[in-house]
Amino acid sequence: MSFQNTWRWFKCTTKKIGGKCWGIWFLDPPKDISLDGYRIDNVIQYTDGVILFYFSIVVLLMIYFLIRYRSRSGHKAEYIHGNSKKYVIFSLVMGMLVFLTVDVVIEGMAFKDLKEAFWNFPKGPNVVRVEVMPQQFAWNFRYAGADGEFGNEDDLIPAQNQMHIPVNTPVVIQIAPYDVIHSFFIPNFRVKVDATPGMINTMWFQATETGNFEIACAELCGNSHYRMRGFLTVDSPADYQKWLNSLEEEGEPEEDDWGDEDEDEGIPTYWGWAWKESI
Amino acid sequence: MSNHEQSFMSKYIFSTDHKVIGKQFLWLGIFFLMFGGFMAMLIRWSLSHNMQPLPWWLLGDILYQNSPVGVGIIGPDAYNQLFTMHGTIMIFWAITPILTGAFGNFLIPLQIGTEDMAFPKLNMLSFWTMFLASIVLLASYLLPTGTAAGGWTSYPPLSTPVGGIPGYGQVYWTLALTLAGTATLMGAVNYITTIVRFRAPGMGYFKMPLSIWGLFLTSILNALFVPIIAAGLIVLLLDLVAGTQFLVAGQKATIPGGDPLLYQHIFWIFGHPEVYILILPGWGVVSDLLSVFSRKPAFGYKMTALSMCTITALSGLVWGHHMYTTGMSPLLGKAFMFLTLLISIPSSIFFLNWLGTLWKGAIKLEVPMLFALSVMWVFGLGGLTGLYNATITADIYLHDTYFVVGHFHYTMAASVLFGGFAGIYFWFPKMFGKRMNKKLGIIHFWMSFIPLNIVFFNMMVMGYAGHHRRIFDPSVFEFLKPVLQLNDLMTTFAFLLGIGQLIFAINFVFSIIKGKKAEKNPWGASTLEWTVDYPIPHGNFESIPTVYNGPHEYSNPKVKNRDWISQSEKI
Repeated sequence: MSFQNTWRWFKCTTKKIGGKCWGIWFLDPPKDISLDGYRIDNVIQYTDGVILFYFSIVVLLMIYFLIRYRSRSGHKAEYIHGNSKKYVIFSLVMGMLVFLTVDVVIEGMAFKDLKEAFWNFPKGPNVVRVEVMPQQFAWNFRYAGADGEFGNEDDLIPAQNQMHIPVNTPVVIQIAPYDVIHSFFIPNFRVKVDATPGMINTMWFQATETGNFEIACAELCGNSHYRMRGFLTVDSPADYQKWLNSLEEEGEPEEDDWGDEDEDEGIPTYWGWAWKESI
Repeated sequence: MSNHEQSFMSKYIFSTDHKVIGKQFLWLGIFFLMFGGFMAMLIRWSLSHNMQPLPWWLLGDILYQNSPVGVGIIGPDAYNQLFTMHGTIMIFWAITPILTGAFGNFLIPLQIGTEDMAFPKLNMLSFWTMFLASIVLLASYLLPTGTAAGGWTSYPPLSTPVGGIPGYGQVYWTLALTLAGTATLMGAVNYITTIVRFRAPGMGYFKMPLSIWGLFLTSILNALFVPIIAAGLIVLLLDLVAGTQFLVAGQKATIPGGDPLLYQHIFWIFGHPEVYILILPGWGVVSDLLSVFSRKPAFGYKMTALSMCTITALSGLVWGHHMYTTGMSPLLGKAFMFLTLLISIPSSIFFLNWLGTLWKGAIKLEVPMLFALSVMWVFGLGGLTGLYNATITADIYLHDTYFVVGHFHYTMAASVLFGGFAGIYFWFPKMFGKRMNKKLGIIHFWMSFIPLNIVFFNMMVMGYAGHHRRIFDPSVFEFLKPVLQLNDLMTTFAFLLGIGQLIFAINFVFSIIKGKKAEKNPWGASTLEWTVDYPIPHGNFESIPTVYNGPHEYSNPKVKNRDWISQSEKI
């Protein structure tokens, strides 16, 4: 049985036990609706397996020793230093065993996933590109508009906190915040990326199901950090086009929409940057 | 330096005696442990009873009377202040003073067999600098806008004036931390010099107890990395009060050239070794105690010491795993992941040697042993769950969730705290000349171990379910609805955990006043501190001992009538 098969068998077994796939954490993460989220679930589940294995060995041996070698009359401890060559080689072998069964495997999985998915940015005309600018405490989104270029008059800006993407289409975001560090976290896609002032970060994901999902800010950004919630709607391609068209009709929001007029410092009515092709 | 006459002030307050300074650090640490623990209770209350007034037993009649959201209610601003100060106080004012300050001061001269620290006055200055830092920190609570609220990491620009947190809390925080860092640095220089230069004749490096190894390596890390965070804090302080913008960038910056990411690098170059700064003395203490209570030499002593050295070296090379989601270059990310995973090799050797120490021993389950064994459990869980956070892909999902919170509470809070408790129960007879009550000790152990595991494990469960960190009210998010009921459970057990610590406090104080008088060597331990009588005179030993044996000479068949022999006795 190859490793892959063994792994599949293990997952099916755990599925049968719990009625659904679960690791050692008792609660399921939010439903995975992304193309590559399963990769993260897999590496987590493999780690679940090996840490359960090694932790059980340590705890069971500990309990066994506590009972077997408890202090009692007639029982004496043996005078062993454990510094002899035999023991040194044994502990080095055990260390290497842990390294090979845990570290090498999860590193292999992670590097493969990064190369094939998370760092393998999709290219081509069907890729949806979105610019994101978080601020205290809301999400601003920007779509390129008809000309496909960012940072000009025909960009489409939906209402704050509203992001729509089409299903089964790769989406690339570029993100830079207005004020402090935020982090764009979409639990249903298993991904997040920090938004740090002064730099543009990027990330991509692809939805496999339509529906409404949430965007959370994962980096502390002030007192209303907990309320910084965005709404991600995954549309069918037709609905998505309809939504884009509706944005075009509305045009850019009025200046007043951005809030308090008395404040000098506010969100600039114009933001956005020319799309960075390579970051 | 024998028993000369001393005034009350120079004997108990401005003392240069390492034992008195150690106890001063212990009292400071225990005070802040209670303080930070109480804040944890408030945090738990706020998470499970969001926007409900505090009950009287959480001091609801005194606290938050002017809260903008209602009398006695913790609002979002207050909540942010709570977790910021909980983290800061627990790490820098509770764990560091107890593990490094108290044990370091008390144990190093006694266990290596010397009269005092290399620089006794610097040692005194170290404590009083820490004391000053504590005053600055506590003073920040008196500010009208409250104390710092940028998280214990205090990432800029949130922690700069650009971040929009009102008041001077952050300034006080930065000042207090800089002072605390200065105190730590003075201690580190002192410990290193003492260990390198003042070991008793015959006490080679590989005859030092493992506690001393832990404290030695901790001090080296402190001396190397605390100056880095001090530099970062001074830069942050300039941004806060002098109008510079070293750490501010983007649209809100008025001066170009700043970089918030710079602070994150500086912080974690210090911050990751800090984890080992906290845990290394704990590991050393646990390794020694397992040996004492198994009545058997520490298994693979040299391997353990060398593993500790390896981890110390690696700890300075892995800070990037805190920053996988910051848009780190792929090459760098892979390097950091590889280096981080390397730590699992020395760690597994550690566990092997701990198990080896128990193997074929004669195990006595005294209270310090219970805590030492529990470190194997909590550090096992904490260390292994680090694998998820070290993995770049898993960390993309788990970063900044409660999973991370659970993980570092297991490694830093649980392991270090239990290691610290093990040490306090173990050395209490030598520190205060009395025995602690064993029954209360056992109750304290179970009241700590069970609730702590329920609280911290469920943090990881919540994190795996997507619960992100530092949110005042998780019910805002739909996807967190299934997790919410866990908060009630965790809060209940957190309160039990808190009550358990009250039992410890009562036991501690009453044992000092009314405890049974302790004999010279109640545990039958072979290290040098047990060869001196309580009260230990200023100058410790009548004459400097000569060391003949290793630190763990138990059950040596050549020794007749008893199962231990002191390091300074000839076989």
